[in-house]
Amino acid sequence: MDISEKEARDSLDQIQAVSTRTRKTIAAGYDSAVLIMWGLIGILAFLGTHFFLRWAWPIWISLCGAGCIATLVLSWWQFRSGNPVKVSAAEKIGWRIFWFWTLLFVYMFIWLSILSPLNGIQLNAFMITTIMFAYVVIGLWFKCYYMVWLGISVTFTTLIGYFLIPSNYYCLWMAATAGGAILGTGLYIRLFWK
Amino acid sequence: MSQLDNIIHQPARLRIMASLVALDPGEQVDFVYLRKILDLTDGNLGAHLARLEDAGYVKIQKTFISRKPRTFINATGKGRDAFEEHITALEAIIRAKKENDK
Repeated sequence: MDISEKEARDSLDQIQAVSTRTRKTIAAGYDSAVLIMWGLIGILAFLGTHFFLRWAWPIWISLCGAGCIATLVLSWWQFRSGNPVKVSAAEKIGWRIFWFWTLLFVYMFIWLSILSPLNGIQLNAFMITTIMFAYVVIGLWFKCYYMVWLGISVTFTTLIGYFLIPSNYYCLWMAATAGGAILGTGLYIRLFWK
Repeated sequence: MSQLDNIIHQPARLRIMASLVALDPGEQVDFVYLRKILDLTDGNLGAHLARLEDAGYVKIQKTFISRKPRTFINATGKGRDAFEEHITALEAIIRAKKENDK
């Protein structure tokens, strides 16, 4: 079979376009919903901490607890019925991811008890950068490169907030940049990757 | 030297294979979802998938999830190899043209 150079180039362009569209469309479902939810939780928790500092712990614990439960429910629903892509080892991978996050939080508390942060901002910056490190690792592992960029960006803005922003404005800065980046990524994926 | 694959070269089948190969080897995609991604009709997609299945390039699995029938498709190892070879052949055509132009 003989084809022209132009036809070959067109075929390669089509292949590239379809592969990108496939991966993006898949991410637009579950990933975007989880990111939008956690972005909103981040924004609400940081704003809550800024305006009601006394209630910071209950705000974070209740919002993050609700977020974890909602993520589990969403993952279960996605695995059971709604997922357009079935992974032969989905159950195994799902459990591994679950244990990865559980162990990460266990280790975070171990590290925190050893390091004993002096104030809430140190504690917060430590937790956010550790979670973003997990985003980068998961992103690299599953070739989900937007997670790598999101993890690096939020780590970067957290460091700016920690070292350069006056402590009174740290939570406002983090609501806008960290929560905003996660929410923005989720919305972008939902709107433009479908 | 890599050869173009007659079965894969047909535009709709090329797009189907590109979409399936974009998934990881352990992943299968839902028929309805694939139809949406590729913007094909039910009949068209079904006919091209049957052709690819005959060639051993894709595997079609019908199953029930929450009592609803679902069809999942994935590229086989043979299909992935054939698609890879097809891409190599396309790249070789472009390279050859460039060398001729020099």
